[in-house]
Amino acid sequence: MKPYQIVEAVLFASDAPLRSDEIARADESLDEDIVEQSLEELRTFYLESERAYDLVELAEGYQILTRPEFVPYLERFDNVPRPSRLSGPALEALAIIAYRQPIGRLEVEHIRGVGSSGVIRTLQDRGLIEVVGRSEGLGRPLLYGTTTRFLEHFGFQSLEDLPRPEELPVVLRDRTAPIFPEDGRPPEGAVAAVGDAGADDAGPAPAENSSREEA
Amino acid sequence: MSTAHQPVGSGDGFVVDIDRFQGPLELLLHLIREQDIDIFDIPISRITNQFLEVVREIEAHDLDSAGSFLELAATLVRIKAQMILPRPMEEDDEDPRAELVRRLLEYEQIREITHRLGRAEAERARRRSKGYLEDRPRPSFEDVPLETEWEEVLAAALEVSLPEPFDSDHRVTPRTISMEEKSHLILSSLGLGPGSGSGAGSATGVEFRRLLEPFREKMHGVMTFLAGLELSRRRRVLLRQSGPFKELWIYPRDEEDAEDAAKGEDAVDSSGASPVGSATDTPTHPGAGAPGGDADR
Repeated sequence: MKPYQIVEAVLFASDAPLRSDEIARADESLDEDIVEQSLEELRTFYLESERAYDLVELAEGYQILTRPEFVPYLERFDNVPRPSRLSGPALEALAIIAYRQPIGRLEVEHIRGVGSSGVIRTLQDRGLIEVVGRSEGLGRPLLYGTTTRFLEHFGFQSLEDLPRPEELPVVLRDRTAPIFPEDGRPPEGAVAAVGDAGADDAGPAPAENSSREEA
Repeated sequence: MSTAHQPVGSGDGFVVDIDRFQGPLELLLHLIREQDIDIFDIPISRITNQFLEVVREIEAHDLDSAGSFLELAATLVRIKAQMILPRPMEEDDEDPRAELVRRLLEYEQIREITHRLGRAEAERARRRSKGYLEDRPRPSFEDVPLETEWEEVLAAALEVSLPEPFDSDHRVTPRTISMEEKSHLILSSLGLGPGSGSGAGSATGVEFRRLLEPFREKMHGVMTFLAGLELSRRRRVLLRQSGPFKELWIYPRDEEDAEDAAKGEDAVDSSGASPVGSATDTPTHPGAGAPGGDADR
């Protein structure tokens, strides 16, 4: 039995991404390095042969997934269910939590401008966010962060895959309060001062960071 | 806002479809971007007026959604006031619009990120794994760690005592006006009553109002009326009014009347002349009135 075969068998039987250390548990002959090597072999092999699937790296693990071009065929079958997509408000709240985690509900509501307890509940029920702690403030409100399932759902390998601010068309001038947390997860939002439409000195001085507190 | 609405005019020819906006920031951003307004120099007066116009329309159609819009509307009005009022210009004074601008830009960024996430979600959804299972919502109960032990909760519950009886200086003594008392009053004024035999009373009745003359409080009137109804139900008296809001009269009913009335029980006729209150199911009210209130009852 070649190592890559064992790895392939384990991946095939799983319906969720697996980390290399998890895969290594299949046999004493495997360790993480051997697994990683096997994974690379498999990945290349699939790419180069006419398979209907790829070895995809996501959610800090690996998974065998069908190639996108085959989805029309699969959709004809009832027992290959359609994954349910998130609503606009849910995606919005999730975006805020993903970029500002850990963050509490009140702050999410302030950024969105609308109440968010319903969508937060939905996101929790779907396992996309979880409670990661409590704020020190009044009432010690809960703080939320994204889960591994969040990464799976969007096909991200890690939070690093979230779109970086400099990629976004809307950039801010002289922002003193970066939208991304200073500790670098996701990467720091030090935004270049590429001007929006408009004059150089017409803008008001942006607000200080002080207004970020929980209500 | 899920029902289809007509586009809303904002008064200066700018039309907005209010269904599109799930939140006030989105609306405000739309107003700014669609009119090519420089977000770093927002004409706060014009924008506030337009915003308020739309919010009024939302309020008219869907009051629930209007709440968060009203909050931002209030913010805009405040900023507008601050811009208009003269203020001593210090070096480090911030433009009143600054916080709003920061919020809008942040929100705009979030919108873009949201779109990106949506596309990533769609891309991922095109791939399927073996034995794909959908994310069914799973309520999770382990979110908030319990910080107490059951023993603590039980002990706290056992310690709960009922609050002290409310001691007040003002004591209200219930004055009992019994219906029995009033029944006797009615019957004796009609010449009926215990010991006066059946049907031996006068044929002329008594005006209800007369029965109340010696008394001041309304409760007497209430109990007398109830007694009258009860006696009527028992076929001891007849209650009559010659017309709506006319004087109420009580007449004795003799035995024959009682028998006739018993036969004619089904034929209840509600024209002005018929006895008020006969053949009703008025439940018996035991004597005690409510604490005898004053005339403000």
